[in-house]
Amino acid sequence: MVSLGRMRELYADMVTARHYEERLQEEYLEGKQPAFDISAGPIPGELHLAAGQEAAAVGVCHHLRADDTVTAPHRPHHVAIAKGVDLKRMTAEIFGRKTGLGKGKGGHMHLFDPDVNFACSGIIAEGCPPAAGAALAAKKRNEDSVAVAFLGEGAIDQGAFLESLNFASVHDLPVVFVVEDNDWAISMPKERVTDVENGSDRAAGFDMPGFRVDRDDALAVYEAAGEAIGRARDQNGPTLLEVQVHRRMGHFMGDPQTYRPDDDEEAALARDSIDRLESTLRDHGLGDDDLSAIRGDAEERVEEAIAWAKEQPQPAPEDAYDDVFVNPPSGVTTEEPDFDLAGGDDR
Amino acid sequence: MSDADDAVDRELTMSRAMVESIAHEMRANEEVFYMGEDVADYGGIFDSTQGLLDEFGRDRIMDVPISETAYLGAAVGAAQEGMRPIAELMFVDFFGVAMDQIYNQLAKNTYMSGGNVNVPLVLTAAVGGTYNDAAQHSQTLYGTFAHVPGLKVVVPSTAYDAKGLMHNAIRDDDPVMYLFHKRLMGIGWMPAPDGPKTPVPETDYTIPFGSADVKREGADVTVVTLGLHVHRALDAAESLAAGGIDAEVIDLRTLVPLDTETILESVRKTGRLVVVDEDYRSFGVTGEIIASVADGDLDALDAVERVAVPDVPIPYARPMENEVIPDATDIEASVREVVSGE
Amino acid sequence: MTDRRRVTDGGSGMRVAVRAAGDWEEDVDETEGIVVDWFAREGRSVQAGDTVCEIQVEKVSVDIHAPVAGTLDEIVVDEDDAFEIGDTLGWLRSE
Ligand SMILES: Cc1ncc(C[n+]2csc(CCOP(=O)(O)OP(=O)(O)O)c2C)c(N)n1
Ligand SMILES: [Mg+2]
Repeated sequence: MVSLGRMRELYADMVTARHYEERLQEEYLEGKQPAFDISAGPIPGELHLAAGQEAAAVGVCHHLRADDTVTAPHRPHHVAIAKGVDLKRMTAEIFGRKTGLGKGKGGHMHLFDPDVNFACSGIIAEGCPPAAGAALAAKKRNEDSVAVAFLGEGAIDQGAFLESLNFASVHDLPVVFVVEDNDWAISMPKERVTDVENGSDRAAGFDMPGFRVDRDDALAVYEAAGEAIGRARDQNGPTLLEVQVHRRMGHFMGDPQTYRPDDDEEAALARDSIDRLESTLRDHGLGDDDLSAIRGDAEERVEEAIAWAKEQPQPAPEDAYDDVFVNPPSGVTTEEPDFDLAGGDDR
Repeated sequence: MSDADDAVDRELTMSRAMVESIAHEMRANEEVFYMGEDVADYGGIFDSTQGLLDEFGRDRIMDVPISETAYLGAAVGAAQEGMRPIAELMFVDFFGVAMDQIYNQLAKNTYMSGGNVNVPLVLTAAVGGTYNDAAQHSQTLYGTFAHVPGLKVVVPSTAYDAKGLMHNAIRDDDPVMYLFHKRLMGIGWMPAPDGPKTPVPETDYTIPFGSADVKREGADVTVVTLGLHVHRALDAAESLAAGGIDAEVIDLRTLVPLDTETILESVRKTGRLVVVDEDYRSFGVTGEIIASVADGDLDALDAVERVAVPDVPIPYARPMENEVIPDATDIEASVREVVSGE
Repeated sequence: MTDRRRVTDGGSGMRVAVRAAGDWEEDVDETEGIVVDWFAREGRSVQAGDTVCEIQVEKVSVDIHAPVAGTLDEIVVDEDDAFEIGDTLGWLRSE
């Protein structure tokens, strides 16, 4: 059973993430009407929004501590919010500002917040090996922290994912692979690119437990993830967890979605995990006022972050040259010692 | 094309020209097929396969799993069987996940077999920045592919070239990397500069690899470049002309083979060389071109400059991306430097 | 769908409108779009059915075809400029 307090927390993060994506969509499209020009408007680059996928993020991340590691893919905002990434600095990064998480260098697909051990990659499945590596570090140090790699269902055909499953399994690493199955990889429906119905069946080939949460339900995810993360924390090895979610928007902003049947899009809009949790909360006695108070707080938090981000300074052009390395190019030294080597002088 | 009746009136974007040549080759040869992510219903994220699914169906315009090692490697295998696959890497930046198939199989099987095996594969990929997509989605990596022996490397800058080079690529019995710049494709959501849309004949035609195109003749300085930067160099040349500097602009069109002769001829005339590249500065195209000229005729070279991405990953925020990706002003400044430097 | 009107300025043939109209109108809610590309210049010849320009409405790209063979007489809405659905984008002079 999930406590009421925890349910409220899950709900709060879900509505925060949803409002965040809806507001970013508005901001992004500003300056892109009527012509959709990717390099116009206040938010640079591509933008992949996660509306409809909140249940997976909150159900998993609410079992995690700041010292647990999460890697996220190209669609990272909901996961970052659930993991506790600094919302203001994350938003500033998405707007390409100097005070953003990566000083405006990384952008929306490449968010790094070491304070809560959060990282992303825009290359499909490439967050899996580093998550296994974070788990390896915890194991070597005898710490009870765990790692979670998030990926889309399209990423389960990628070598980096399959190799990581094997690596994690053979070394009994405290890592959980979370597949967010939104049915689509851009325009490719999952049944066209893979023959297993459940991605979680991949686990069997690696002698690893695999579970699938078949509905968009934050509480069901929370329970399944509790088991998987518990296993990892108790040093019982990795788990593969797949969660059915839905894509309420295009793959990226600007995706005309001409490939997508109308009924699929309508079904995605109808199956809302936020509505589902909301009705559970009502069953537990929460009323309109309680729910709208939570939503109001969430919206305020989002608006504050966006307003703050937009006030932040742009990076200077020459900032581009910093941060390629943390040490000087010569390494930790500028001088070579002068040994008297037997067998001759090499100078 | 001087005869008015034969004049080509129709203009095409680069993506439409590419697609026209692919469709032509697919009609002519059953063994040509196209594989990639989102190439069927979507028609290619950068319009590289618009409309092909309708004509050729899913057997020949194949969406593939996000498994670059598997499908690029499968294209190598099918090519070695004598088929003529075209395989698309959505962004060139993703080559890393399939690097072995490209660098150790595709590029080397011909040589290791003593020429007994050949790999007639065209590997297409979108390249380039200028739209704020950051370090993992904005590279050109021209030098990376030109570096390993065994790959021909094609970089079209206009619709006319895109079509003729694609015909040659598909008919070629060797591996060809066909790197198209996103900003040149003529996509609604990523407006192209004026140059890449050109008249394109409806008939098929081939443009030989290794024949650089002198885009603008000039007496004072030779500007050598490729891809998007052909158009930026031409813009720079226009404004330099207003200031009395006459720049010659050479579009390499292919890196492998490299048309050193055309570059040398130009440098012998101008004595000054500026090489412009959207790839990283070090260990890449700019250094290679300059070294080739120095090798070929050191005495012809009075002054030289290179304009490229300084050795940093491509940053996300606009002020920084604009700083590192060379624009017409950067090219102009370097040209002025070589011209005044004596 | 095609507007025909006699021209009086001495040219041969009729002026035929190229309009931002077609079946695709059902698929979009927006009433405004932009011209992405023209595939011929003024004065150049086109065949009936040729794609003369590409427009974009709500991120959906649409090819607009020449209703008749002739020459492109006038471009009314330039590249990157906006129009309302149904507007005349340009004029052809029929052969
Ligand atoms: C190695 C690699 N190949 C291709 C891409 C391009 N790409 C970006 S997102 C995407 C689809 C991913 O689908 P999925 O994993 O299901 O995640 P979703 O977008 O549905 O969240 C693709 C093919 C990439 N970023 N990296
Ligand atoms: Mg997906």
